[in-house]
Amino acid sequence: MRSRRIKLEDGRYLIFYTFDEETAQADERLRRTDAAGQSDSPRVADEGAAEPVSKEERRV
Amino acid sequence: MSELRWHPLLGEWVATATRRQTRTFLPPADFCPLCPTKPGGFPTEIPEPNYDIVVFENRFPSLSTEPPAPSVEATELYPVRPSKGVCEVVVYSPRHTSTLADEPVEQIYKLIQVWTDRFRELSALDFVDYVFIFENKGEAIGVTLHHPHGQIYAYPFIPPRIARELERSRAHMQATGRCLVCDILAEERRDGRRIVCESDSFVAAIPFFARYPYEVNIFPVRHLQALTEMTDAERRELAATLKQVLMAYDKLFDLSFPYMMVLHGRPSDGGDYEHYHFHIEFYPPLRAAGRLKYLAGSETGAGMFINDTHAEEKAAELRAHIAPVHWKTSDK
Repeated sequence: MRSRRIKLEDGRYLIFYTFDEETAQADERLRRTDAAGQSDSPRVADEGAAEPVSKEERRV
Repeated sequence: MSELRWHPLLGEWVATATRRQTRTFLPPADFCPLCPTKPGGFPTEIPEPNYDIVVFENRFPSLSTEPPAPSVEATELYPVRPSKGVCEVVVYSPRHTSTLADEPVEQIYKLIQVWTDRFRELSALDFVDYVFIFENKGEAIGVTLHHPHGQIYAYPFIPPRIARELERSRAHMQATGRCLVCDILAEERRDGRRIVCESDSFVAAIPFFARYPYEVNIFPVRHLQALTEMTDAERRELAATLKQVLMAYDKLFDLSFPYMMVLHGRPSDGGDYEHYHFHIEFYPPLRAAGRLKYLAGSETGAGMFINDTHAEEKAAELRAHIAPVHWKTSDK
């Protein structure tokens, strides 16, 4: 899965999500990783996306 | 103007959002704001000629990242605060006449990935305590746009219905050492009569305590608190379970079945919610073909629901319409 973020004229954001073949293959690799018991991998970073903060950091 | 006004009798916030009175109301298909913008055509909310799934900030939000100052002064009895938060629209498909039930299971799987991404990003915002993903479908529910879409509200507090579930789950955990939803799931599987469909990872049932005639709940078998904790295999199974339930709904009365669909997961305030268990709830307003269940005096004024049906019978009706889900790709 890929995402592309744009800014609309009135300042709101809009995000296009795409799921091409290359991404599907990456998903498949992720699925195998998940199946092996590892945690979810991070998503593709977006320009302008919110800065991720872990749950642990929030607790602090 | 919009603000959050405190309801002292119920101990909860009420959002006022007067601008929403002017929002687009059931436009003709040629002027749907959620369709792609075709070259030379009506400029919609989505300025490109095609898309797969799109998320954008609601033009008529109840909560916003930069809310205006409240229009009224707070008092000791009546606290007021800015309506800070996020309201997003999730457009499921570029196909105007489609519904989530009509979309292939692959598209529902994509949607679950988008939900997961939005949950992850909005949860990280320091002013967000709860991310609520939902869909209102059908004019019977009051939708103003027919194009298939859902919504996400990122609240600056834990909303009261969720807070009550959290409180009940915590009390059950303290009393028994077990998860309440895990116990509900075990009870439903032991009885079996209210199960609509199930897979290795999910169970869809009209639970014993259903308040609406066709109130399906979808529970993950594994004890988990949020979409972000699902494996990809579980997301695929959830897509298949959703597709099965949605198709059964549409077949039930041979019409596009109206519903509210809500995702209940853990809050995002950094607290410990290990006692909670993610699940999805459907509240369909139909009790029979062409007959609505109204939230009338007892439900609205007293908070006690009166269900005119038995979950065991309604689950059997839905179960009769459950059909296999077919993936286009072989790697499900």
